[in-house]
Amino acid sequence: MGEMAGEGEAPQQPGAILVWEDLTAVVANPGGRKPGRKLLQGLSGYALPGRLLAIMGPSGSGKSTLLDSLAGRLGRNVVLSGRVLLNGKKRRTDYGVVAYVTQENVLLGTLTVRETITYSAHLRLPCSLTKEEIAKVVETTIDEMGLEDCADGLVGNWHMRGISGGEKKRLCISLELLTKPPILFLDEPTSGLDSAAAFFIIQTLRQMTRDGNKTIISSIHQPSSEVFALFDDLYLLSGGETVYFGDAKLATKFFSEAGFPCPVRRNPSDHFLRCINSDFDRVNATLRGSMKRITEAESSSDPLLRLGTMEIKALLIDKYKSSEYAMMAKRKIAEISKIEGFTVEFLKGSLASWWKQLRTLTSRSFINMCRDIGYYWLRIIIYIVVSLCVGSIYFDVGTSYTAILARASCGSFISGFMTFMSIGGFPSFLEEMVVFYHERKNGHYGVAVYTLSNFLSAFPFLVAVSIATASITFFMVKAHNDFPHYAYFAISIYTGIAIVESIMMVVASVVPNFLMGIVAGAGIMGIVMMTAGFFRLLRDLPKPIWRYPISYMNYGAWLLQGNYKNDFIGATFDPLVPGDPKLSGEFVLYDTFGLTLGHSKWIDLLIAVIILIVYRILFFLIIKFKESTTPFFRELNAKVTSLRKPSFNLRKNSFSLSNGTQHPMALQEGLSSPLP
Amino acid sequence: MKNAVMAEIEASKPSSNGLIAGGLSPLSETLWREKTNTELLGDVSARLTWKDLTVTVALGNGETQRVLEGLTGFAEPGCFTALMGPSGSGKSTLLDALSSRLASNAFLSGVILLNGRKTKLTFGTAAYVTQDDNLIGTLTVRETIMYSARLRLPDQMERESKRALVEGTIVEMGLQDCADTVIGNWHLRGISGGEKRRVSIAIEILMRPRLLFLDEPTSGLDSASAFFVTQTLRGLSRDGRTVIASIHQPSSEVFELFDQLYLLSGGKTVYFGKASKAFEFFSEAGFPCPSLRNPSDHFLRCINSDFDKVKATLKGSMKARFERSDDPLEKMTTSEATRRLIEYYRRSQYYYTAREKVDEISRVKGTILDPGGSQASFFMQSYVLTKRSFVNMSRDFGYYWLRLIIYLVVTVCIGTIYLNVGTAYSSILARGACASFVFGFVTFMSIGGFPSFVEDMKVFQRERLNGHYGVIAFVISNTVSAMPFLILITFLSGTICYFMVRLHPGIIHYLFFVLCLYASVTVVESLMMAIASVVPNFLMGIIIGAGIQGIFMLVSGYFRLPKDIPKPVWRYPMSYISFHYWALQGQYQNDLSGLLFDGQSPYDFKIPGDYILEQVFQIDVHRSKWWDLSVLFSMIIIYRIIFFITIKISEDFAPWIRGYIARRRLQQKQNLQASAELANRTPSLRAYVVPPTASHSNSSETV
Repeated sequence: MGEMAGEGEAPQQPGAILVWEDLTAVVANPGGRKPGRKLLQGLSGYALPGRLLAIMGPSGSGKSTLLDSLAGRLGRNVVLSGRVLLNGKKRRTDYGVVAYVTQENVLLGTLTVRETITYSAHLRLPCSLTKEEIAKVVETTIDEMGLEDCADGLVGNWHMRGISGGEKKRLCISLELLTKPPILFLDEPTSGLDSAAAFFIIQTLRQMTRDGNKTIISSIHQPSSEVFALFDDLYLLSGGETVYFGDAKLATKFFSEAGFPCPVRRNPSDHFLRCINSDFDRVNATLRGSMKRITEAESSSDPLLRLGTMEIKALLIDKYKSSEYAMMAKRKIAEISKIEGFTVEFLKGSLASWWKQLRTLTSRSFINMCRDIGYYWLRIIIYIVVSLCVGSIYFDVGTSYTAILARASCGSFISGFMTFMSIGGFPSFLEEMVVFYHERKNGHYGVAVYTLSNFLSAFPFLVAVSIATASITFFMVKAHNDFPHYAYFAISIYTGIAIVESIMMVVASVVPNFLMGIVAGAGIMGIVMMTAGFFRLLRDLPKPIWRYPISYMNYGAWLLQGNYKNDFIGATFDPLVPGDPKLSGEFVLYDTFGLTLGHSKWIDLLIAVIILIVYRILFFLIIKFKESTTPFFRELNAKVTSLRKPSFNLRKNSFSLSNGTQHPMALQEGLSSPLP
Repeated sequence: MKNAVMAEIEASKPSSNGLIAGGLSPLSETLWREKTNTELLGDVSARLTWKDLTVTVALGNGETQRVLEGLTGFAEPGCFTALMGPSGSGKSTLLDALSSRLASNAFLSGVILLNGRKTKLTFGTAAYVTQDDNLIGTLTVRETIMYSARLRLPDQMERESKRALVEGTIVEMGLQDCADTVIGNWHLRGISGGEKRRVSIAIEILMRPRLLFLDEPTSGLDSASAFFVTQTLRGLSRDGRTVIASIHQPSSEVFELFDQLYLLSGGKTVYFGKASKAFEFFSEAGFPCPSLRNPSDHFLRCINSDFDKVKATLKGSMKARFERSDDPLEKMTTSEATRRLIEYYRRSQYYYTAREKVDEISRVKGTILDPGGSQASFFMQSYVLTKRSFVNMSRDFGYYWLRLIIYLVVTVCIGTIYLNVGTAYSSILARGACASFVFGFVTFMSIGGFPSFVEDMKVFQRERLNGHYGVIAFVISNTVSAMPFLILITFLSGTICYFMVRLHPGIIHYLFFVLCLYASVTVVESLMMAIASVVPNFLMGIIIGAGIQGIFMLVSGYFRLPKDIPKPVWRYPMSYISFHYWALQGQYQNDLSGLLFDGQSPYDFKIPGDYILEQVFQIDVHRSKWWDLSVLFSMIIIYRIIFFITIKISEDFAPWIRGYIARRRLQQKQNLQASAELANRTPSLRAYVVPPTASHSNSSETV
C-alpha cells in the first residue's frame, strides 16, 4: 500500500517522508517523586508524501500530543523517547519552524483576506522576490485554497462580521502554505465547522497532497462521513496507544475482523470512536443509574452493549499488535527509514530583511488602526467631546485670583484624566498582541521590529488626538495666545498619551487577562495622578517612597511641572485682596505650587520623553526576557495547561469539548452585549 | 376515523376516573400533582400540530423574505422530534414559531394548535432551552437547581418536597455525579459543557412542562456528551412529554435516538415522519444512502446547498480530480437534489399520513394546559434571589473581594500620602484634595465590578425571558445583596483613610465620612447598572461610565470652584446631577467646619474653617451636611428606578415599536401588490379573497 502518489508525474516537489518509531511521551512530574504519566506508549508510524494522514481518537487519547511531538512542539515538561526521522535523518525541529496550523484562528480582523496573505508574504518571503512575484504567489495561494470569493472580504472580529469560520480556517492554512513547506501539520482543522465547510477544508488538503506532493498530518475530532472518506491513512489512538494504523479504507475491515463490525448505516469514524471512547461507559453507567429506561429493551446482539468500552479498547489494541496491519506498517517503516531523501530545509523564521519587515508591519498595523473604530477613532471622538467639556468649563479662564487654582486644575485634569482615557484602546491593542505572539512564535519577525512598528503606526493617530485636544482646550481656555505655548502644550499632551500607551503595552505583556490589565492600568494611573503634584504638592509628599523614587519616576509629575511653567511664567494675577500688588506667575509657582524654577519647561518635557523611551525598551526587554526564559515559562505554562486541558488530564471531566481553548484575551470575558 | 375516536377516548379517559394522568411516569405524575395542587384536570400531555405554517420576515429595507413555507407537522407526547437541516434552513425559525418566540418583525400565517386549541404558549406549559448556557458560575449544580425551584414553585409547598423535586430532576438529568461541583465561568474551572447543557435543561424541566423546545442542545459537545444529552431528552419524552429539538449534525449514535425527524431545507419540508423511515424515503426518491455512512450525514449532504458552492470553488480553483463514484450526487447539484426531494415528498405517502394525522389530532380538543409561570410570591422571589445573589457575590472573587483589596491598597496609599494632615496653612488645600481624590477616584474604581455584573445580567435575561421572576424582584435583590459587601468595603477603607489622614475628629464626623463614601460607591454601582441596561456591550459600558464620571468630577466643585463653573449646562443641571458635587459639599463641611487653620505666615491670625468653606471652597454653609447626604441616598433610588424603567422599555416597548414599523412597511408594500393583484382578478372572486394582511396581523396576534 501507499506507493508514492504522483511518482511518475512531471516536476514534482521532492516529498518529505516522516517516520516515527517507539514514540513514548511521559509527563515529567513536578515533584519528581512518582514516575510521570504516560501520554503516548510506543507508537510507530509514518507519513508519506502525497497522502493525507488523520490522527483520530476520543478527547484525551493523545492526538494532540502525537501531533505536537511529530511537529516538535511538545511542552518541555514532556519527555519524549523514540525517534522521529525526516527523510531518513534524525532531526530536532525547533519550535515554530514547521508549518503548523493551530486550532485557533489568530488573525487581524480588520484586514481583508488578500491583504492578510500579502502582508504575511511580504513579511516572510525573501527580499529577492519582486512585488509582482509576491503578488503572484499570493494569488496562487488564494486560488489553491479556494478563497477567491472572499478574497476582498474582511476577516472580521468580535464586533465586526466577517468571513465564515471555514474561510478563516482556510486563510490560516494558506498563510502556512506561503513558504511552500513539504510537510504540514494541522490541529483539528474542522472543529466548530459545519459539514460543508469541513468537507471543503479536507478536500482542499487532499488536493494539496495530490498536486503538491505534500505530506499532510492532521488531527481530527469527529469527522462526518464525507470528511472521513477523504483520508488516505488513519492513525487511531486511545489512551496513548495505537488502536489502528494503516489505510483508512481498511480500518472497517480491521474492526470487523476484531469482532466489532461497523453497522451498515453508520459512519465508520463514529463507530470507531464509539468503540474506544470510554466516556460512553460513564454515560451508560449514569444513564442506567438515573433513568428507568422503561421502554428501551436494547437488542443485546450489539457487542458494544455487552462489553464496556474499556474492554473493547484493550481487545482492539491487542488485536492490532498481532495483526497484519501492524506487520505491514513495521515492514514499511524499516523500508522507508533507510531511504535517505534530500534534507528538508525548513524555512527558519523569515527571509525578508529587517527594514522590509518594519515597513510591512508598520503599514499593516496602520491599516488595522485605521479600520478598527475602537482602536483610535472612538478615542478621538471621546477626546474631542471631553476637550469641549473642559474648554467650556474653564472658558476664558482669565487672570483673577481664583484663576490660579482653576488653571492648575485644568492642567492637571488634562494631563491626568485625559491621558487616562487612553486605556480605551486596550482591547484592540490586545487583539493585535495576540496576533503578534502567534507570529512571533512562528518566527515571522523580531520583537524590536514590532515595538518600533507599533510606535510608528500609532504616531499619526496620537498626533491627531493631541492636536485636537490641545487646539480645543488651548483656544477655549485662552491661557496664552502665542504659538510656542501652544506647541509646548500639544507636545506635552502627545507625550502623556504616548507614555500611557506604552505603560499599557508593558501591562499587557505581563498580566494574564484583559480585566487584570484594565485594573492594573487604572491602579498605576491612580498613583501617577496622586503623586503628580496637584492633589498633594510635591514638597508636601511624604519623603520615603512617595516623594523619592515615585514622584521622580512619575511622568505625570514632570509633565505637570512643565505645563505649570508653560502656563504661569509670564502671566500676572490679581491678588486675593484688591489693592495688593499683582502676583507674578513665577511667584505663584514658587509660593503656591512649591515648584523650584531651576530648570526650564523643556527639560521637564525631555525627561518625560526619556521615560517614554524607557517604557518602550522595557516592553522590548520583557518580551525578550519571557522568550529567553521560555524553558522555564513553558514548563510552567505546560503545567497550567495540563491542569486545564482534558487531553492531558485523562480522568477528570473528560467527556466534554472544553479543551480549554485559549481565546484571545479580549474575548475572554465575553465582550458581547449584556443585553441583546 | 377510528383512530380519532380512540384518541378522544384516550384523551378523556383520565378525567373520567380522575386518577391517572395520561402517559405520565409515576415520578412525573406525583410531581405534577404536587405542583398543580389539585385533583387532576385530565390528560396533561401536550399535542402540538402546525399546518401550512409560513413565516415572512420584514427586512430592514422593506423587503420581505419567506423563511418558512407551508410546513405541516405534529409533535406528540412520548415522542422526540428532531428538526434537522443545513444552517439557514429555518430550523430555529420553526422552533421559534412553534414556541411563540418569533421576533416582532416576523409574520406568521397558518395554524398552530396545542391540544386542538389556539393557545399562546406561556411559560410553564412549554419550556425553551436556548443554545447558550447562561448560568451563575459560582453556584453548584444542586444549588442552581434548588434556587431555581424556590424561585418558581409555590410558597406553600414544603421545603422537603421542593428538595425531593430537585433531587428527582438531578437524577432524571443524570447529574448526580456533578451535583456538588460548581458550574464554573471564564476564570473558574467547573463542570463540562455537556453537564452545563444538562443543567440548563434541568432548570427548564423543573416546573414539569409538558412541552419542551430545545435549540441545538448538542452543539459544541463531543460525541459522548451529545449522546448523553440526547439520551436524556429521549428519556424525558418517554416520560410523557413532548420534546422538540433542533439538531445540527448528529453523529450516528445520536441520530438513532430520534423518533420523528423533520428535515428542512430552505424553509421547505424535505421529509417529515419517523426517523427510521427517512432512510427508505431517500432511497425511494433516488438518493440511497451508501453503506458505511451516517444517514443523517447523507441527508444533509443531499440538501445542503453549501456543497454546491464548495464544489464549484474546488472545480474552479483546482484541477479537481474527484474520484469517480456511483453516487448520484456527483452528477447533480445539491439544489437540484433538494428540489427533487421536496417534490417527491409532496407526492409521497409520508406527506399524506402527516396531514391526516395533523387533522386527526387537531380535532381532539384536549386539556388547556395550565399556564404556569412562576408560582412563588413576590417576596419569596425577592428573598431567594437576594440569597442567591449574595452567595454568588461572596464566591465570585472578581465581584467584590478583588475590589476590597484594591480599595484597601488605594486607601493606604492615600493615607500615607496625606498622613496626619494637620491644620497648617497648606493643609487647607490638602484636605480639599484628599476629599476630592477619595470621592472622585476611589468611587471610580467601582467600575471594576462591571464584568461580573454583566454576567449577572445575562442570567437575568435568560430567566426573565422564561418568566422566572419580575424585574422589581431582581432590582431589589441586587440592591439588598450588595449592601453588606459595600458596607464592608466602604467601612474598612473609610476607616483606614479617616484615621491615617486624621480628618476632623469626632465620632459623628467619622460616621458622616463613611456613610458618604458608602452612598457614593452605591450611587456609582447604580449608575453602572443603569448604563449596563442601555449600552450594547461591555466595553462601551466601561467607556461611557468613565466618561460620565469624568464629567461629574469636573463639575463637582473641586477642579473648578462652584461659583466659577459656567452657569448654562455645567452649573445648572450638571453640577446638581453630579453625585460628586453633593458628596464633596457634605464632606468639606464635615471636615473643615469648626477647625482652625494656621495663617499664611506664622504671625497671621488663625483662619476658621467656616471662613475657608465660604471664601475658598465657596460652599453654602447654611445647608446642613446631612441634607447633602440624603440627596446622595435619593440618587441611589433614582438610578435604580431608571434601571427598572430602561429594562421595561427594552422589554415591552422596543419590540412593539419594531413590530409596528415592520408591519407598516409590509402593509404599504402589500397594498401596492394587493391592489395590482386584485385588479387582475375577476370581480366575482374579490369578495371571497381575504387580504393577506388581515390574516397576517390576525395570526401574529393570536399565536
